[in-house]
Amino acid sequence: MDLVDRAMATLRRSVLPSVIARGGTVRVIAVEEGTAILEVRGSPGAVLPLASRIQELLGAAVPEITGVQFVGPHAEPPPAGRGERLADRVRDVLDAEINPVIAAHGGRVTLVEVDQGWVRIRLEGGCQGCSLAEVTVRQGIEPLLRARVPEMVGLADVTDHAAGTTPFFSAEKR
Amino acid sequence: MARVLLLVPARTYRATDFLVAAGRLGLDVVVGSDGALPLDRRLVIRVDPGDLEASVDRLLARSGPVDAVVAVDTPMLVLAAAVAARMGLTHNRVEAVRAAADKATQRRRWAAAGVAQPAFRILPADASIGALKKAAAQVGFPCVVKAVSLSGSQGVLRADDKRGAAAASARIRQVLGVAGRPADEPLLVEAYVPGWELSVDGLLTDGDLTVTTIFDKPDTPEGPTFEETLLVTPSRMAKPILSEALRAAERAAGALGLRYGPIHAELRLDARNHRRQPTMLELAARSIGGLCSRALSFLDGVSLEQLVLANALGRQVTPHRLARPAGVLMLPVERAGVLQAVHGTAQAAAVAGITGLSITTPVGQTVHPLPEGDRYLGFLFAEGATHQEVEEALHTARRRLRVITR
Repeated sequence: MDLVDRAMATLRRSVLPSVIARGGTVRVIAVEEGTAILEVRGSPGAVLPLASRIQELLGAAVPEITGVQFVGPHAEPPPAGRGERLADRVRDVLDAEINPVIAAHGGRVTLVEVDQGWVRIRLEGGCQGCSLAEVTVRQGIEPLLRARVPEMVGLADVTDHAAGTTPFFSAEKR
Repeated sequence: MARVLLLVPARTYRATDFLVAAGRLGLDVVVGSDGALPLDRRLVIRVDPGDLEASVDRLLARSGPVDAVVAVDTPMLVLAAAVAARMGLTHNRVEAVRAAADKATQRRRWAAAGVAQPAFRILPADASIGALKKAAAQVGFPCVVKAVSLSGSQGVLRADDKRGAAAASARIRQVLGVAGRPADEPLLVEAYVPGWELSVDGLLTDGDLTVTTIFDKPDTPEGPTFEETLLVTPSRMAKPILSEALRAAERAAGALGLRYGPIHAELRLDARNHRRQPTMLELAARSIGGLCSRALSFLDGVSLEQLVLANALGRQVTPHRLARPAGVLMLPVERAGVLQAVHGTAQAAAVAGITGLSITTPVGQTVHPLPEGDRYLGFLFAEGATHQEVEEALHTARRRLRVITR
């Protein structure tokens, strides 16, 4: 079995069912000089939050793989100029209207990128791993961004919430 | 577009999954929460489940018309019933939801309805040690002493003799004190039921149960504490046994007055008789807790939370769970202390069949094992061609994790 097949088998038996269940898919199209090239389709929010885990998984299961690169419709660079302007406006809203409020919870929202209208953000500090982070994103950040930046296509939270160490609200058993 | 009022407690594993589900169903969502959220002034209605009347009034004043009210987790169940009643929406009655949240009331109602359950005694808070020992002897040893208001095996201990029952009672009283429960809360003393454990999840529509999942618990705990660790679905039990278990769960829900929405029932197949009679341990008026629902895959990628929301909206729900065996292992806290690190997560996640690993307790938090503890370290998920593959994957992955607590 070559490296592509081994990497694909690893994804198939680990994260792929979760990715598909969340409206996306990912496949290994090549392994070049230790880097696995992964094609991402469907919802970017289904794959990108798992990016670091996918890299860890592939590294653990296929030691020849030392890095991953995501390509595909949602990983291509934005058209010159337009994405940057959108990113600037999103960043302005985050800095002026969202982060000052979220700072009260020890949190911060960082713009990761804008890609074809999709805004990807990362939550940090008290927001990372907070049991109500999704409420803040969907009921707070997304409506505000949609109001201020109407051309935004969608908002994806790409935070690795499992790595949060100081969540404002932590989950309990029931 | 249908509009749903989601009541989201500040501390829950399930907010994300319900919001994602609402998004997939294209629902307009209004959120009520006791979490002091940033950005919440316009978009989240502040509620306090401990102040029912004021919270109901605030929700009525601010939520606007909604088609359904859904509690995302246990602390919001009674408030959801209360506000739905005031809005005139189809929902369980408040009294039924309260009954389901109290293990002593459950036992009394089930006894009256003839639902199979362990022999039990309810001990008032001022009962003497002598009365406790007598009650334990009456139900027979080994017995289980339980707090009536806590869930997830918190405040539950097995005792093998009178002295053990007294010690268990004292320890559970301490747990209740730390949990901030009223000092006058009774304790439940019941017979220990040996045998294979099942959990039944389903959705009620006018009292009729539509089953969403039956989990086997292959590592059924025998005490002294009762960690829920391994759940695997679909069940391997014979059809007649499962049919009897479903009937028991449906009758148990009916005896509590539950007629709508999700239920999560826990039963044991009593090994003390040859019939392995399904015996009701507990039932909650909600779907399965923690992140366990993520182990389930329904046709077309539908999630359990989507089914719960659809059911709340009065839509016909036909759950087609994919037949491939799947499981979840809840990682119990084994030592008290401050969580320093969880090593080996990549190695655990790389085990064949593992489909997910989520460490949900943040590093730096103080953790306690049962019976004091109220959370898991995290969740491992697996799928496989057989139940054995699923169990092996979960056990192997767990062995690869090294939890550092100091």
